[in-house]
Amino acid sequence: MPLSREAIVEGLRRIVEPGDVVTDEQILVESSVDNFRKLQNIFNVHTMPVPAAVVMARSTEKVVELLRFADEHGVNVIPRTGATATEGGLESAVADSVIIDGSAMNEIVSIDAYNMQATCQCGVPLQVLEDRVRELGLTTGHSPQSKPVAHMGGLVATRSIGQFSTLYGGIEDMVVGLEAVFPGGQVTRIKNVPRRAAGPDIRHVVIGNEGALCFITEVTVKLFPYFPENNTFLGWTLKDMATGFAVLRDVMVNGYKPSVARVYDPGDAGLHFSHFAAEDDCVLLFMAEGAAGIAKATAEGIQAIVDKHPECTQVPSEYIETWFNDLCWDASKITAEDERIRQTRNVNRTTEISADWSSINDIYQAARARIIAEIPDITMMGGHSSHSYINGTNMYFNYFFNVVDVGPEEETSKYYLPIIGIICEETLKRGGSIVHHHGMGKARAPWVKDEYGSSYYVLETLKHAFDPNGIMNKGTIIPL
Amino acid sequence: MRILAYFKVTPDYEALRESEWSAAAGRVPSSGGGEGTSRGPSADGGAGPGRGEHAGPADGVDTRYVRRILDCFDESALEIALRLSDALVGRGRAAGLGALSIGAPGAEPHLKTLLALGFERAARVHTEAALDFAPAATAALIAAYAGRIDRSDLLVLGARSSPGGGGTVPFRVAEQLGWPCLTQVTEVEPLADGRLRVTLMGDDGLQRLTARTPCVLAVGNAVVSHLRVPTLTDRLAVRDRQPDVLEPADLGVDLADVLRREGPSLAALEGIDRHREGVLIAGDTPRAKAQALFDARLKSLLEEL
Repeated sequence: MPLSREAIVEGLRRIVEPGDVVTDEQILVESSVDNFRKLQNIFNVHTMPVPAAVVMARSTEKVVELLRFADEHGVNVIPRTGATATEGGLESAVADSVIIDGSAMNEIVSIDAYNMQATCQCGVPLQVLEDRVRELGLTTGHSPQSKPVAHMGGLVATRSIGQFSTLYGGIEDMVVGLEAVFPGGQVTRIKNVPRRAAGPDIRHVVIGNEGALCFITEVTVKLFPYFPENNTFLGWTLKDMATGFAVLRDVMVNGYKPSVARVYDPGDAGLHFSHFAAEDDCVLLFMAEGAAGIAKATAEGIQAIVDKHPECTQVPSEYIETWFNDLCWDASKITAEDERIRQTRNVNRTTEISADWSSINDIYQAARARIIAEIPDITMMGGHSSHSYINGTNMYFNYFFNVVDVGPEEETSKYYLPIIGIICEETLKRGGSIVHHHGMGKARAPWVKDEYGSSYYVLETLKHAFDPNGIMNKGTIIPL
Repeated sequence: MRILAYFKVTPDYEALRESEWSAAAGRVPSSGGGEGTSRGPSADGGAGPGRGEHAGPADGVDTRYVRRILDCFDESALEIALRLSDALVGRGRAAGLGALSIGAPGAEPHLKTLLALGFERAARVHTEAALDFAPAATAALIAAYAGRIDRSDLLVLGARSSPGGGGTVPFRVAEQLGWPCLTQVTEVEPLADGRLRVTLMGDDGLQRLTARTPCVLAVGNAVVSHLRVPTLTDRLAVRDRQPDVLEPADLGVDLADVLRREGPSLAALEGIDRHREGVLIAGDTPRAKAQALFDARLKSLLEEL
């Protein structure tokens, strides 16, 4: 017999301070969605089941008690910290869910500048950690666009990646150890070591679990020396994405590690670079950083590679540096963007995938052409590659559409999900991955079996083993 | 009704680094009236179509490397003009809508966007550099275009623009055209008799006036602050249309002469200090922090009331 909303709230209030159980109706309604339904949020039109409560967890012990309670009574739990998710991972898919909010667990536990690692609770904003380590001449190397607002727990839970990933890696390359609480209240601590070969690397059971297996309470990440004075920017315009992908491949295959390596298609370039790029120009850009010798050698190596492509026209580095310095989103930019959408009903969405070098341009071309042909009211359809590897790269589709003749509640079904569907289909057809760094959430969960293929067995077994009662973030990664 | 909307394309000053403002503090702008108008591309100027549009480092704040955006008041003016046009067409009346900008080719993408949005006419008066601190020259060009070339009935434009924000251009244009000028406009609706109902935001509240054309409407802090966005299909439909490009001489304006007689000249540009003082309130619980805030700040304010 499931507990009533009232009984859930009463049970929660016995575990944490009553003030830490939030039942304010507006907060609950707003907490029923994340940025996947941002248009609904902007117009305050909500269609998802309203959670029973948002619970502020202030310690690992409280998370243990909360998960025990939820597991015992079959209450769906949605873990969150910074609440900046974009793929529906924080949506309450079923009635009377409980959101466990770890944003109050915001202590930086230690910064170990000798062993080059920092430990912090899940609710530490990345910006706060970065600012603290910068005072010591260090950096986390992690800089997603959400850096000013995202928290460490959520970043690890969604396998986040930052703008400097080509040098520092994604969050999975940075996390050396962590603490997580599993349903039933089992606390797991994975120690901080440089490497291990003692069986499977179980960090990866936790990293990217999106709250569907456990609640991350603490993470330890690597630190790196910070040499901003050596940052070197390089930029070119060019006429096609195929050349851009080819240059990125050359740079990666030749072993260079620029922190930023991107190619923008003309549509996306028009949003950022129209003051120096023509309407049909792609833009290729790099940032080399690190110790002086490394930054210099990286920049020179890249310059030599691009010089072999006469179709690329170099632009002054100041254009790239100025763009770079205005890149991150903060609260004021988000508010301004919401107001723009409110007035124009012109919505910006993104979907990121990855594929090998042989396939990426075909995926980009095919998905773009289909979206323009099949989806109405598109105002911009473009994208860029921003995270490259030795064997391939990502494509970050960036698109805008006008929401016409439907209410905010139908924006996802009329426009967003059909676009995601096209991108997923074209990616899967060519062997790519349908999610590069935002997480599956609930938005892309319908394609999970196609994404995993025969390895879906492992994912399903993990879910059954760690969450046998199915209380962890129903509908996320694995659809309802 | 023949409507003309004027807009300016300006560097995105929000994207300028603070260090650029600091560096600019040590530079002295070139002397003479109408700074920003007689500058050619600097010797170390950037590549691409943005070159030479705005100041290089020798002249003040270096804006060459930041993107260009629609000036915010002008963006409101463009959307208000579109809405007025929609309303007129909805009532079965003709509404010929035109757009004008002044400066280097940086405005062209915006003019093409306006064509895609249904503007019938789009024109740019070419000047080598931005007329950032030359309101007399700007007004002379707008008035000449509206009066002699476009023969508009109604001019809609922002009440002021970046970076100077002097707010005199609408008045100067109105004076030269001999038209009335309504300022701080926030809304415009057509009336059945051909006149307009214009909402203005005054110091004491909103005013609703009935206006006859021709007139100049200077748009202030309107609720409408964003321009709608054309679809790719809309853009495709005007792919082959190019905005008209005119020289000041085509309008009968001797730009160099007007600039020589321009009024006050720019002495220096300085960034606005956006740092705000803050106090972190200590307390173990939100209740304790709220109490501390009340005791330290709010209690005394309430007592004063």
